[in-house]
Amino acid sequence: MPRRAYHLIGSLGWVIAILSLLAQEGHPLTGTWAGDWGPTITQRTHLTLVMNWDGKNISGTINPGPDAIPLASVYLDVTNWTVRIEADTKDPSGKAVHIAAEGRLEDLSSYHRRIEGTWHQGTAQGDFRITRD
Amino acid sequence: MNHLVRAPFAVLLVMASASAQAPFSATYDGDRQVKLEGPVTRIDWVNPRAYLFIDVRDPSGAIINWAVEFGNPLDLDRDGWKPSALGIGDVVVVEGIPTRGQARQVLAKSVVLTRTGKRLFAPSVTHRASAPPDPAPRWPDGQVRLGPPPGKKGYWGAASFKALVENTGATIAIDDDGLLLNLSDADRVAPFLPWAKALYLYRQRRRLQDDPIARCVPPGGPRQFLTPHGFQFVEQRELGRILVLLGGGDRNWRIIYTDKRPLAQAAETVLSYYGTSVGHWETDTLVVDSVGFNERFWLAPGGLPHTEALHLTERFSRPDLNTLTYQVTVDDPRTYTRPWKGGWTVQWVPDEEIQEYFCEDSAESTFVR
Repeated sequence: MPRRAYHLIGSLGWVIAILSLLAQEGHPLTGTWAGDWGPTITQRTHLTLVMNWDGKNISGTINPGPDAIPLASVYLDVTNWTVRIEADTKDPSGKAVHIAAEGRLEDLSSYHRRIEGTWHQGTAQGDFRITRD
Repeated sequence: MNHLVRAPFAVLLVMASASAQAPFSATYDGDRQVKLEGPVTRIDWVNPRAYLFIDVRDPSGAIINWAVEFGNPLDLDRDGWKPSALGIGDVVVVEGIPTRGQARQVLAKSVVLTRTGKRLFAPSVTHRASAPPDPAPRWPDGQVRLGPPPGKKGYWGAASFKALVENTGATIAIDDDGLLLNLSDADRVAPFLPWAKALYLYRQRRRLQDDPIARCVPPGGPRQFLTPHGFQFVEQRELGRILVLLGGGDRNWRIIYTDKRPLAQAAETVLSYYGTSVGHWETDTLVVDSVGFNERFWLAPGGLPHTEALHLTERFSRPDLNTLTYQVTVDDPRTYTRPWKGGWTVQWVPDEEIQEYFCEDSAESTFVR
């Protein structure tokens, strides 16, 4: 293996080690999550979710930026660590589109904990997987 | 004070577990014991845990090399033990607790040198006897000193409890790692919000194997006063601050400002493990308010969670030379339903200084097979 590849693998190892050292040990949903959703393995749409726990509610945003979608509600069922997310947006024609996602928190104690489940957006549906950045 | 009942196995393991980085319960299976005999092949007298290695013949006749964890070098040295107590080739009998996994590793309860029958590396019973309870030392203006008396040495050592629980008077069975014997006691540990209780129980069920301190993360919050190697106050009165020097936790330090600055948490404040602290004296008690904590540590052994909204009010008093009373009010409305209090006392270690200690992440992984 070329020396550069060794260096790259080594650097990635350090990044992973440092991130695991800095795990967030507070509310499990707080933070920035990245991943995608889609109906098939090849048809995927990028997702970034930012969530924050304020002591009463979890608020947040889907895809922060010009086309940001505020989260209407986030519910965490701590008996089984499932998450239900709802939001409302509009399609390019201006038609209202409802988003409803339901997933399960996996690898709860890891910095890179994940949420995996089903994603419904308007009439489209598929699976989603997001990982905490 | 709370009535904490420690688990029997924790009491048996004073010799070695007190200095372990990873929680004992996460690494070792307290329900099993093994007895091993064989010649010593190697001694690693290193922080945070000293190991010896012995060749043990299994029932099939094969030679298996076992790693034996037997204590922290600083504690061993303090108890009068040196690496020269044992030589390569010496045959020893080890009784101890094996790991939960397949690793050939054991936590020693006893190590006996077969040619003399002498028990090695046992903790000293008399070495740390309490000094007479002299009055608390004071500055010329009468204020209590939190450090050693003038011209003397010393530091704060072991805490009376190893876990933080709400001070309600309830009896809670808990071991030195903060592991509950009965998970149904969780509601008596602290007034958790539902998510916090669920997370606490999740950590408990995993036997605390995710404890950040096992990854050498600083012991922020009250946990800084529960680390094995003590702490020291350095009162810089002319500078309006008190330094807290920690013997454990990678020898971290913390500043408590006593210059009457306000405790304002600016939005741009960089959140940290020890937060921003300001203190003032109320007669003989130092009262310290702290905010600005990050969420990267557990508040105490056992997996108590918190958020960035955490506000701690700590009260330090010294009723006599040998005793520090520590009481803390935990106020985190994003984690707990109401503010709650806990605390413990800490014993003075006279005529000694904190020794160098540093955390090594998974040190044993380099040689345990």
